[in-house]
Amino acid sequence: MKVVIMGCGRVGARLAGLLDAEGHGVTVMDTDSYSFRRLPPGFKGKALVGNGIDEEALKRAGIEQADAFFSVTQGDNRNLMAAQIARHIFGVKRVICRIYDPLRQEMYESLGLESISPTTIIADTLRKKLEG
Amino acid sequence: MYIIVIGGGRVGYYLSKALLDEGHEILIIEKSPAVCEIVNDELGSICYRGDGCEASTLAQVGTGRADMLIAVTGDDEDNLIACQVAKHKFKVPRTIARIRNPKNEILFKKLGIDVTISSTNVILEQIAEEVPTHPIIHLHEIRDKGLEIVEIKIPQGSAAIGKALKDVDLPPGTIVPLIIRKALRPIIPAPATILMAEDQVIAVIEPMAEDALRQSLRGA
Amino acid sequence: MEFHRILVPVAGLEADIETVKLACRLARREKARILVMHVIPISRSLPLDTELTGEVKKAEKVLEEAAKLALELGCDIETDLLQARNVGPSIVDEALERQIDLVVMGLTYKRHFGQFSLGDVTPYVLKNAPCPVILYQQYQPE
Repeated sequence: MKVVIMGCGRVGARLAGLLDAEGHGVTVMDTDSYSFRRLPPGFKGKALVGNGIDEEALKRAGIEQADAFFSVTQGDNRNLMAAQIARHIFGVKRVICRIYDPLRQEMYESLGLESISPTTIIADTLRKKLEG
Repeated sequence: MYIIVIGGGRVGYYLSKALLDEGHEILIIEKSPAVCEIVNDELGSICYRGDGCEASTLAQVGTGRADMLIAVTGDDEDNLIACQVAKHKFKVPRTIARIRNPKNEILFKKLGIDVTISSTNVILEQIAEEVPTHPIIHLHEIRDKGLEIVEIKIPQGSAAIGKALKDVDLPPGTIVPLIIRKALRPIIPAPATILMAEDQVIAVIEPMAEDALRQSLRGA
Repeated sequence: MEFHRILVPVAGLEADIETVKLACRLARREKARILVMHVIPISRSLPLDTELTGEVKKAEKVLEEAAKLALELGCDIETDLLQARNVGPSIVDEALERQIDLVVMGLTYKRHFGQFSLGDVTPYVLKNAPCPVILYQQYQPE
């Protein structure tokens, strides 16, 4: 599968590493080249400096041929906009987006955008830990 | 009307000031406490400190009864999300977004934002009208069809010169209804019409196809 | 200092009683006129002219009590009930419009998230009032 990941923070870099190890064609984008230091040694995919809410940059990252797109930058709004570009402009089949704000996540989920809110998941996980 | 303005920067400030003068009820949502204070000091207490993309903030300021929401922060993504949340969560009848990157216009329209305003486009249009050498001139936008009519001039040295129209690699869906040729009457081209240098080609295209059209008619 | 028009914003707090008393004492000497006002804050989710019957009743009671107290002290007051988005600015506006030359207001000691807090209204009035302000803080033993 061809996968484009926007945001090479801890999550983006880890996800890129995992998918790369599974043999997928991974391109990871970030506005700051320094963040690519997080990619695992031996990463065979592409790392590209660019802004995922810019169509040109997405094209350079191969969004037109991508089977899946993840947006995992620090900004909820940037993630949401990039995901919607991937879906509505480039017609990427699988688009998954991280949204910290649970309310925003709920709303976009109901609009049909696949998304994950770490806030909800982690709070829930921690609560469950306490229950044992 | 009750109008909510997202972003209390210079655009938001002067916009709100003008709308207040017209007698509307205005509320600005602004993240920065310093900016909030300036606005409140100068325009009266109309600035609420908060994140205009957050549903809880929008609920607090009564977005449900707003007639219009105008997002004019400096970031396209924030403006998009504020408008979408207002539209889908609070059913605000009219949303207006400021955009920096003119290419976002298509996306925003597609996503249901009622009006987009791009200062870049406004300036470009002005330049296009005043500087006739500008490669692509926007003549008309057919909004409901998502098409635009543009004029493009074939420069000396273009690879399209001497080719028949049907042999030029135009972007898919392009229609060429008219060619204005120097010292001649405008012609309605046939597929076999040979292109010449300095031809002004009128084309109906999708806005996305602008670059491709430029490439096929002006590329060397 | 001489005062001719004193504004006393009341909020339905314990401190109101002493504030009105203080204003009356100051007014008597100068034969100043007292305006007691109360502001009903209206949330942005409602139009500004919404009639919140419950709130209006409560507010009227607060003003009546102030008037009764003033009468007992032999001092005639005028009252005013307003609705506004923000209380602070409407107190300042009232002071400007009615050419007030002294504001006397009370507050109860507050703790907000475990910290001392004056709230929004008092600092706004202190900062923006067009005249002197006397602030009365009700003492509340811990």
